[in-house]
Amino acid sequence: MTSKPIISITDLNKTFPGPDKAPEVIAVKDVTVDIYQGEVVVVIGPSGAGKSTLLRCLNGLEDFDSGSIIIDNIPLNHHHKNRLEIRKEVGMVFQSFNLFPHMTVRENIGLAVRRVRKKSVLECEKITAGLLEKVGITDKIDSYPSQLSGGQQQRVAIARALAMNPKVMLFDEATSALDPEMISEVLDVMKNLAKDGMTMVVVTHEMGFAREAGSRILFMDNGEIVEDRKVEDFFLDPNEDRSKAFLSKVI
Amino acid sequence: MKKHNYLLDGIILIALILAGILVFIRVKTGFSYTWNWGAIPQFFFRIDESGNIKSNLLMLGFYTTIKLSFWSSLAAIIIGTLMGILRTRKNLFSRLTGRTYIEIARNTPPLVLIFIFYFFIGNNITAALGIDEWARNLSGTGKGILSFLFSKPERFAEFLSALFTLAVYEGAYVAEIIRGGLESIQKGQFEASYALGLSSTDKYRFVILPQVFRKVLPSLTGQAISTIKDSSIVSIISIQELTFQGMEIMASTYLVFEIWITITAMYFILTLSLSTLATFLEGRMIKY
Repeated sequence: MTSKPIISITDLNKTFPGPDKAPEVIAVKDVTVDIYQGEVVVVIGPSGAGKSTLLRCLNGLEDFDSGSIIIDNIPLNHHHKNRLEIRKEVGMVFQSFNLFPHMTVRENIGLAVRRVRKKSVLECEKITAGLLEKVGITDKIDSYPSQLSGGQQQRVAIARALAMNPKVMLFDEATSALDPEMISEVLDVMKNLAKDGMTMVVVTHEMGFAREAGSRILFMDNGEIVEDRKVEDFFLDPNEDRSKAFLSKVI
Repeated sequence: MKKHNYLLDGIILIALILAGILVFIRVKTGFSYTWNWGAIPQFFFRIDESGNIKSNLLMLGFYTTIKLSFWSSLAAIIIGTLMGILRTRKNLFSRLTGRTYIEIARNTPPLVLIFIFYFFIGNNITAALGIDEWARNLSGTGKGILSFLFSKPERFAEFLSALFTLAVYEGAYVAEIIRGGLESIQKGQFEASYALGLSSTDKYRFVILPQVFRKVLPSLTGQAISTIKDSSIVSIISIQELTFQGMEIMASTYLVFEIWITITAMYFILTLSLSTLATFLEGRMIKY
């Protein structure tokens, strides 16, 4: 891959306080990864492995204990300006969609474009129309989230994140809350996005998506990255016992 | 279903009616009160020397109660929203500020609060800030606007301290209502706003508070109704609202029952129209 990574994670550690006096729970342990422009990095692993926590650290939704994260040359720390810049440049799609229920699709997508990117109404309309076309729900522009199916809601959520024109997109189990028949419509949008060259970090249980659209696999267990391989290599010949055990269960 | 015993019902009903009649007769004989409802209407409106119809004491008090309740409810919602938000923040200082305010305002008798604010704000702060002087030196139209929106210029300082007391007192309850509303909003709404890069102000203004207000509208209405009712205690510092006027008229006419029944009805009309309006608004709100 080319020169400088767009995301650079070094020695990242994150623990959660245990319940009561129980020992703290290690969520992310000594993670060091570089992610380059245009890569689709798929993070897989058993539940509780720290995949989502790692992802949430990347835009500062979760604070980390030690180590460093640098995104597009901006270190993620407690400087308000840096944080804001990273929040603008990193789009995120959640498992539970998190659309704003009191706003129409148009308003959901337009809010941050208008308030954060400071675009004019006209530009905002153009961006919204373009993105809804991309995710295939142009006819629902004036609907409220509750009037949409889960798959449609998630596609609006993807459009909302894309409207900020981010450099990186994070997907946190984007299809896990969907009914089976709606998973493919969301995955298709994600695959197209990958084809368009978007840099993506995807936490998912969809091995089909990982194989088809992923460029790299990070296999995590107990907070650590156990394997960091090209997709083809990983599925053909996993190196570690833990990866083998996991793969034998999910495939 | 068990067969209903209508005979027993009948006996109980008759017994109750008889008891009622007995009480009525006893009271009627022992209670020598001459009702004089005819004296009441003149306290609503009067006709001045030049033949114009003018509002009289009861109506003037009614207006003052409406103005006082409106402004203090508005101020209470602003204070309460701010404090409710502070109460739910992660930052310890914010939480302590919110908590301290709520606990102090909620755990003090409003009557005591009124005295503190009256002697402190009414007598000192307003004088120190020159509010008194400012109100007295307003132009004719300025005075007219001030009277229409708040109170007569010469009573403005008292009005402010009454407004402030009610706002601070009711604000504590509003803060708890808002806190409840905020806690019922899913974490995902905060996270999505964060991830989109919205500023903290925009997050609350566009995403969180609109959802909160929809959820807590019924409780807020209840609090506004409380404010109207509680506003009667400021009569103690001579704010000429409905209850104060009632006491004045009673002192000069001794029409105890007529006056208080009339005033009860006036408060009732005010609060009932407010809750009817709120029910109407709830029905009109977009369902999502």
